[in-house]
Amino acid sequence: MDSYQIDEDPMLTTFVVDEVRKIINEAVESVIGGNVYQHSRVKQWNSSVTEQCLSQLSKLGKPFKYIVNCIIMQKTGAGLQTACACFWDNSTDGNCAVKWENESMYCIVTVFGMAI
Amino acid sequence: MPGMEEFHTGSEGSFNSDEADNIVKECIDNVVGGDDYSQSQVNKWTASIVERCLTQLVKMGKPYKYIVTCAVMQKTGAGLHTANSCYWDTAMDGSCTVRWENRTMYCVVSVFAVAIA
Repeated sequence: MDSYQIDEDPMLTTFVVDEVRKIINEAVESVIGGNVYQHSRVKQWNSSVTEQCLSQLSKLGKPFKYIVNCIIMQKTGAGLQTACACFWDNSTDGNCAVKWENESMYCIVTVFGMAI
Repeated sequence: MPGMEEFHTGSEGSFNSDEADNIVKECIDNVVGGDDYSQSQVNKWTASIVERCLTQLVKMGKPYKYIVTCAVMQKTGAGLHTANSCYWDTAMDGSCTVRWENRTMYCVVSVFAVAIA
């Protein structure tokens, strides 16, 4: 009698950084690529970037909970430092941070994915 | 800071955002309490804040995974806008965001708690 073992494809149950980076880059480019920082529009841009990222992530169909964080800052020479610490399962969970900039602003998007 | 979003769960029996709020405020005060923005120290500050918050949250002993993020920005009149969106179980999971400032800098700390099944 033969026994067969079908192993879980790690691509389906772990956080794949490259896949997520691609989603973030596309979302940021499509929402704010080519724009100049405008106080009146930044709230809407922020919402659009996070919503677009989240919907693309959920389309991946993986058993994950996601948190998307987006920071948009005007370029005026101010210093900005961000940090994060996570208490989770190192084998399945992960994060991906993308720093994007143009002449007038910085955009930092971080995605955290936690396996259910 | 103009245009900041606020997230609170407000439901009992799930994530207690008031408790987390107090923990975070205490950690920030302990780390950067009376200091002025300093580029050489800011790296150390953000790392300390997130580590301390995480340690205190884990000590509560609840069945949660935690993510703590912290942003410290020098006050020079620049505009800053941050947003978070979450795809999770709204009954059990929750977040809390604390905005703190002094004369020379802003500090924004967010805590996300995701229930373990």
